[in-house]
Amino acid sequence: MDLNYTPEDVAFRKSVRAWLEQNLPRNPIRTLEERRVWHRRLYEGGYLGMGWPKAYGGGDARPMEQAIVADELARASAPAPTNGLGLGIVGPTIVVHGTDAQKTRYLRKILAAEELWCQLYSEPNAGSDLAALRTRAEDKGDHFIVNGQKTWTSAGSIADWGLLLARTDPAVAKHKGITCFLINMRQPGIEVRPLKQITGSSEFSEVFMTSARVEKTDQIGRLGEGWAIAQTTLGYERGGRALARITSYASQYGRLVEVARRLKRHGRPLIDDPVIRQKLGRIWAELEVERYGALRTLTLLERGEHPGAGGSLTKLSYSEFEKRFMEMAMEILGPYGQLTEGAPEELRLEIDTAVGEQGTWAYAFLWSRAGTIYAGSSEIQKNVIGERILGLPKETRADRVGGAR
Amino acid sequence: MNFSFSEDQVLLRNSVRSFLDEHCRPAHPRAMMDDARGYDPALWNEMAKLGWLGLPVPEQHGGAGLGLVELCIAIEELGRAAYPGPYLATVVLGGLGLLLGGSAAQKDRWLPAIASGEKRASAALMEDALDWDPASTAATAVTAGDGWTISGVKRFVPWAHVADIVLVPARSPEGLSLFLVDPKQAGVALRRMVGIDLCSRWSEMRIESVRVGADAVVGQPGTAGPVLESLLRRAAVCASAEMLGAARRCLDMSVEYAKVREQFGQPIGSFQAIRHRCAEMLLEVENSHSAVYYAAWALEAGAEDAAVAASICKSYVSESARRVCGDSIQVHGGIGFTWEYDLHLYMKRAKALEPLFGDAEFHRELITRHVVGAR
Ligand SMILES: Cc1cc2nc3c(=O)[nH]c(=O)nc-3n(C[C@H](O)[C@H](O)[C@H](O)COP(=O)(O)OP(=O)(O)OC[C@H]3O[C@@H](n4cnc5c(N)ncnc54)[C@H](O)[C@@H]3O)c2cc1C
Repeated sequence: MDLNYTPEDVAFRKSVRAWLEQNLPRNPIRTLEERRVWHRRLYEGGYLGMGWPKAYGGGDARPMEQAIVADELARASAPAPTNGLGLGIVGPTIVVHGTDAQKTRYLRKILAAEELWCQLYSEPNAGSDLAALRTRAEDKGDHFIVNGQKTWTSAGSIADWGLLLARTDPAVAKHKGITCFLINMRQPGIEVRPLKQITGSSEFSEVFMTSARVEKTDQIGRLGEGWAIAQTTLGYERGGRALARITSYASQYGRLVEVARRLKRHGRPLIDDPVIRQKLGRIWAELEVERYGALRTLTLLERGEHPGAGGSLTKLSYSEFEKRFMEMAMEILGPYGQLTEGAPEELRLEIDTAVGEQGTWAYAFLWSRAGTIYAGSSEIQKNVIGERILGLPKETRADRVGGAR
Repeated sequence: MNFSFSEDQVLLRNSVRSFLDEHCRPAHPRAMMDDARGYDPALWNEMAKLGWLGLPVPEQHGGAGLGLVELCIAIEELGRAAYPGPYLATVVLGGLGLLLGGSAAQKDRWLPAIASGEKRASAALMEDALDWDPASTAATAVTAGDGWTISGVKRFVPWAHVADIVLVPARSPEGLSLFLVDPKQAGVALRRMVGIDLCSRWSEMRIESVRVGADAVVGQPGTAGPVLESLLRRAAVCASAEMLGAARRCLDMSVEYAKVREQFGQPIGSFQAIRHRCAEMLLEVENSHSAVYYAAWALEAGAEDAAVAASICKSYVSESARRVCGDSIQVHGGIGFTWEYDLHLYMKRAKALEPLFGDAEFHRELITRHVVGAR
């Protein structure tokens, strides 16, 4: 056990910090184009697709280097690159399961943000029970024709391409008849309708596919292998962001402490109130415990091991923590916490929110409700932990027999 | 960066576990509940032979010279076995206390005796102020000849009734000082304080004008503050390791039970209410593991955040262990509430350690002080 960073890691961290000092955008990013510019600068710096093969534009970097870069970006409150799903989910899926031709065709364009991606998994009737999805892909000889509806598609409204799960064989058991595809979103058969979230913004959409076309060369893996592929994609992103996530929480915590110094109740700064101090102490303890957990995850990744079902513990832990953190921040800030406008300026209530932008506590609080739903809800994670780590019996389920339909 | 046990550390854990599985089955703590001493000297000697009593004691003093991580590994296993005996009191409070503050002569005299199992020790850190902050010490040490006369009342002194020496903080003219007091000495009165964990022994310790010599002061008079703070941190982390062991045992028993106990024609573990509870218990146990071993490493390595890590550890594990042990009783239903069933041994151990060396609230205030500055 040695929790010190190696001299190489320390030196690498320094070089990233120096680069950021030089290159960090001076002004807040407002348009997608500005974000692409920033994205490309990051890529040219060697800080995107770090773990991908060099042959396809990646950096063959170690997990620790990836974690350090993400961590330094968070420390500097750097804006996020665009193409989060391309970088986090789609690229890694192509790296692991794609053909050489697919890697050559797609990976560099993801890294350069020339093509933006979305993930077309969830459907109105297939959320947690993703394998119940009904979108059909029919084999037409040299291509597939896709019909169906997806929903909660993040970045759907800006995406050029989508990573799609569709049913290719309705006759077999539901997990077995699903195939994974890459689908061009810029075609007449695809209609995207943005959905407004509780945050008031529209990061996700509904996607309707009517006789949309997928090339045969855009099938990922074998026919019927889609479910297995989807299982592997969910875990890709977590390790690299392990530390960065905590660092973002820590910088938000720093803001909370500053406000607690300025905000007074009965003329006394909140920071002097023992009840508030208990809350602040509790958040910091939990936050640090999350950081220790991230270091354990990184230890595994550095040894080339995959956290496997252990990833469910990590995800459950930090997403539930984020909710508690934001709830406690709301308690500490009182009614000010809910403001999206009109707070006394001297309180300086603005923070970095989950999406890496300057925002409000209210916005961050609302976003904290999403983490325990997407990428496998907390309940699903607990099922996985119970069954796969603890070896508890599976529940009796009505769908464990028979075909998909 | 490597947050995992080395091969040697895994070996240590396995050997402690297999020894305790054989020699400290639940029948053992049960047998010790009515024992006047509360521990088995034969087992104590075995532990000495295995080198456990001198784990953190430097080799020159007859110990193994290992660090806090190894010590926590052993103590976690003791918690897992609900081991009844003055281990934490002797090795941590006494041994680490002397290591942190003792003079060369004191170390020469006491550390080999601790490592060999010949002597037992403790520390009297709590008074009526109910504050673990050493600055709250009210006991006094008045200069008398070349020594002192000590008076004061200490509460919750672990295993004082079998200790050969107790570290006693008191205010001397030089400031806060730490003294070695023989609890069997005239003027010292011990009264048993019986808690729900009959395998954890505490005493009230009344010290009335007890004369001690010049060699009784630990280190230099007036310098005890930092020593006691360091000791408190280590004791808090070691107690957390023991709570973690107790919690892990409760989790393991719950998971096993949930696999075999059937109701409504199926194992109760197939009900989500039970399965999800077990998953949450595992989450808290794993997070507690992180908190304990991070803090142990940080203290050993002298990391910048060592002090706050110790408080994070104690505040987090105190509450998690309580929840996990409590939940394990719920998972078991009626049988979990019986004296016959072993769960309560571990649940009570965790409970007994929860307030010691600072409860969650005490340490949360320290955390806030570290992070945002003093009030
Ligand atoms: C902000 C956001 C972004 C998203 N982005 C994308 C995206 O880009 N692409 C995409 O494909 N999807 C995306 N999703 C969808 C997300 O993956 C689903 O919402 C999620 O899988 C849950 O499915 P559902 O919404 O249908 O809820 P349901 O599955 O209907 O769940 C409703 C409730 O029932 C519980 N539940 C369900 N099954 C079980 C069970 N077996 N045991 C116990 N409890 C159960 C759930 O935990 C939940 O509490 C996004 C979601 C959000 C919130």
